[in-house]
Amino acid sequence: MKRILLLGVFIPIFLVFSEPLKAQDKQTINGYIKDAENGEELIGVTVYVKELSSGTVTNVYGFYALSLPKGTYNISFSSIGYQTLTQQVNLTKDVELNIELTPAVTEMEEVIITGEAEDANVSDIKMSQNELNIQQVKKLPALFGEPDIIKTIQMLPGVISAGEGTSSFFVRGGSADQNLILIDEAPVYDPSHLFGLFSVFNSDVIKESKLYKGGIPPNFGGRLSSILDVRTKDGNNKKLSGSAGVGLLASKLMVEGPIRKDKSSFIVSGRRSYVDLFLKAAGEKNSVHFYDVNAKASWKHNNNNRFFAAVYLGRDVFEFEDVFGFDWGNATATFRWNHLFNDRLFSNTSVIASNFDYEMKLEDNVQGFSWVSNLQEFSIKEDLNYFVSPSSVVDFGYHVTYRRFAPGKLSPTSDNSIFEELKIQNQYALDHAFYANHEYKVSERLSLSYGARLSIFQSIGEQDVYLYTDPQDNVDVERTDTLSFDSFENIKTYVNVEPRLSLRYMLDASSSVKASYNRMVQNTHLISTGTVPIPFNTWNPSDYYLEPQIADQWALGYFKNVKDNTYEVSVEAYYKDIDNVTDFADNAQVFFNKDLSTEYRQGDSWSYGLELMAQKKAGDFSGFVSYTWSKTQRKIPEVNQDRAFFANYDRRNAFNMVATYELNDRWTFGANFTYTTGRPITIPSARYSYEGYQVDLITERNGYRLPDYHRMDVSATLTPRKNANRKLKSSWIFSIYNVYNRSNAFSIYTRVKQDEDGNVIGNGTEKEARMIYLFPILPSVTYSIKF
Amino acid sequence: MKNIKIYFLLLLTTLVACEETIDLDPDQVESVVVIEGLITDIQTYHHVRVTETIDFYSEGKPTPITTASVTITDDSGNTYPFEHNQSGREDFDGYYYPSNAFAGVIGRSYTMEVVYNGETYTATDQLYAVTAIDSLEVIINEDEFEDPDDPNYFYEVLFYAKEPQETEDYYLFKFYRNDSLILDDATDIYFSDDEVLAEQINGIPTAGFYTKGDTAVVEMYSISKQAFIYYNDLINLLKSDGGMFGSPPVNPRTNISNGAMGYFQTSAVVSETAYIE
Repeated sequence: MKRILLLGVFIPIFLVFSEPLKAQDKQTINGYIKDAENGEELIGVTVYVKELSSGTVTNVYGFYALSLPKGTYNISFSSIGYQTLTQQVNLTKDVELNIELTPAVTEMEEVIITGEAEDANVSDIKMSQNELNIQQVKKLPALFGEPDIIKTIQMLPGVISAGEGTSSFFVRGGSADQNLILIDEAPVYDPSHLFGLFSVFNSDVIKESKLYKGGIPPNFGGRLSSILDVRTKDGNNKKLSGSAGVGLLASKLMVEGPIRKDKSSFIVSGRRSYVDLFLKAAGEKNSVHFYDVNAKASWKHNNNNRFFAAVYLGRDVFEFEDVFGFDWGNATATFRWNHLFNDRLFSNTSVIASNFDYEMKLEDNVQGFSWVSNLQEFSIKEDLNYFVSPSSVVDFGYHVTYRRFAPGKLSPTSDNSIFEELKIQNQYALDHAFYANHEYKVSERLSLSYGARLSIFQSIGEQDVYLYTDPQDNVDVERTDTLSFDSFENIKTYVNVEPRLSLRYMLDASSSVKASYNRMVQNTHLISTGTVPIPFNTWNPSDYYLEPQIADQWALGYFKNVKDNTYEVSVEAYYKDIDNVTDFADNAQVFFNKDLSTEYRQGDSWSYGLELMAQKKAGDFSGFVSYTWSKTQRKIPEVNQDRAFFANYDRRNAFNMVATYELNDRWTFGANFTYTTGRPITIPSARYSYEGYQVDLITERNGYRLPDYHRMDVSATLTPRKNANRKLKSSWIFSIYNVYNRSNAFSIYTRVKQDEDGNVIGNGTEKEARMIYLFPILPSVTYSIKF
Repeated sequence: MKNIKIYFLLLLTTLVACEETIDLDPDQVESVVVIEGLITDIQTYHHVRVTETIDFYSEGKPTPITTASVTITDDSGNTYPFEHNQSGREDFDGYYYPSNAFAGVIGRSYTMEVVYNGETYTATDQLYAVTAIDSLEVIINEDEFEDPDDPNYFYEVLFYAKEPQETEDYYLFKFYRNDSLILDDATDIYFSDDEVLAEQINGIPTAGFYTKGDTAVVEMYSISKQAFIYYNDLINLLKSDGGMFGSPPVNPRTNISNGAMGYFQTSAVVSETAYIE
């Protein structure tokens, strides 16, 4: 076996484009666009050249560049929530023009940090994408008063939630592990706190969050179904400010400010739940808590070099009677360097590390053990934007990622323990991706974006690969041989080309048709037995046995803005086909299994659906209504006796409504309503007895459905009038979750028939079905201050 | 590893606000044959029980099949015919017992053949040796002593044995209080492999609590790897949460052919008795 390392390839590409690229007779205007009040760089601001009726938008770092013939131009900078600024520019040589936009809202209001063109819904080439306005999310009713972007994401068209109180979401027929969840470009392997009641995203530090469901550009890869790209604030570089909040479940504090005014800034934020303190006070021996820390520093060396360093740390800790405990958490770190090679070549270099780990521990003299598992990844990303002309932008780059999977190690915790040490061997992988994309405005009506991503995934040593008589036999597991691989030795390489294509055709000034195709390849597989992944599920790389999962998705949509971009309407249809979708065989033994590969099965999944959305983004009244019809099936060898079955998250109809209404400068009201078809569930078709146990007979996986799910929540935000003269501005958020107290089914299980005290009824041979439901009507209040 | 499962359930119930009994409306399916077969190295333990599945909401026991033909053979050429319920007592309808007494022999493999309604169901299992129980120890469980679930039931029985490290072994345990089987929960099964067991098994607590005057019996059965898999699948099914966090319920993998439920098990059995004084 030959060692293949592709790290070297990265350097030549780099050199080619560090050569200055100058177009004849054309001059470039470029710069950063910032918020005038807090210095945050603004993403997606429209830069429009009136004389040419064309323009561009700022990238995710707030940077824009335009290459124009010499001349005098009126250039306008506009974004929702900001006052439009027009500047006259006499372009005789290359110009750097940095802009500060003033928020359009009154000083009382919170500042909307992200912006986009008013007609982006129609004019942007991108489809199947949703941006979340974090300020709106904060005003919506929230479970236990804790705003959570993932709860709002679950209401978007094409997105399905696993059930109440879970942070998993399912995009266009994809399972939860098919979402790439990024915080400042670093992947978060488990986005849940408290098994999913909340997500890891602290709303106080979020600058922008964007969900890609289709037409995914080639700078993203590695997961099949969606990208959730969350970017945190850079910190106010004008003045020291912050916020604090006290809720029923958790409290939080955020401080941001300049290190050197206009040059560098920091932001630090922490959040901690305190249910455990109440539990302890009540004499309860079980305890649970979570915390998050976000920290970021950014500094501008000069206009051509900017640096950012961001860290996220989060952890959940459960303890049962000082005996049994488990905890899990994510840690990510990102270092970014934005560099301008020349007027038109923008570069972002990122160095990223991410760690996810969990531990279970039982303190017992005899049965004590600890089980530790972790996953680490390190990556380097070089992304380049080349602004060829106002109608042509080329993006290209190279990403390399090294991953280390340590599925688990069992150790005895005392000398008398009955347990021996057991270690499931580590796996390693090296992942290279090269991509290029060209976004090209063919005419006023037609825009094209086409590109591809080349993914080269290597499963590498050090590892022993076991060969089996039958690698799919999980009953009589018979190893025949072992192949030993040294550190970094190639075990198996998977090369895939992922074409990406989007096009937009303007029907008229306020409506367009868009189409897209994307192929996505996934080489890290989270194989979970249940509907909702739990932190104790294990990630596995593509390896000697597991092949990459490949998804092809086609989408077609119609987009229309009415009443001068006040209302945005869209209709999208999609079809998605997945090969090698990974699942466990029926009855798989998941824990402590050294031959886990014998439990993996790969099969097919297909999904199609229709999504409608109407949205109003600005004004006193804003919000959206979405409806999705979809169908998702799977067919996996040795699952459901080889027959096709509905995916766990298949829900035929989903209707959602999200709205906020600003009554006056004191009161803002919010409401959301959700209705979905019940999720499929497996129930017994008959029963029998074996050795005195009452056993269910199962004939069909997911053959039954839970009752329909529906719920309405309301909230009211009070901003006292006296705030105007205060340095500390306070606000109250009152919310009621499940306002009409609907008992929504979470799951159904069966048991021997019992009365309410748990005493068996009759002779213990009868059974009954029990429906679990989570939250009744739950009022909550959150008090926040800003300074 | 049963502890982990128990704590997961505990966690679920901590998070869960409420639950209630509901009516399911499952599709009607044809009944399936269920066979529970046991051959041991003790003469009086053998039985083969043949029943049919019944509707989920039916009251009473599964329908016994009384007209099957049941035969056990071993790999040394012996055939042991079984007869239906020689005692004629209704409680034992569906139970088949050997026509002539015999004891299973360690190291042999046994094949069961059940013929019913023109269908033949067969299964084979091997009878493995079982390690000895060194001793049982009776202690007072301090938590129960302070706050007993049942008044005066605070004695606990601990189990000591040596696990042979050179062989791959699987065990099933049964605990009796004054001849009645005890389970901490109706869905508990006590079984283990030796993958993570060290040689000394010192003082593992057994199920249940005892009071003065009780007799505690611990039985340890050797089981095959396939039986271990069956019990593992069975406990997953019995403790299924409906597929929310755990796997969706699914029928256990059995050694019986032709679509029958249940298992044919062969075991060597050792037992030890302790008196609570």
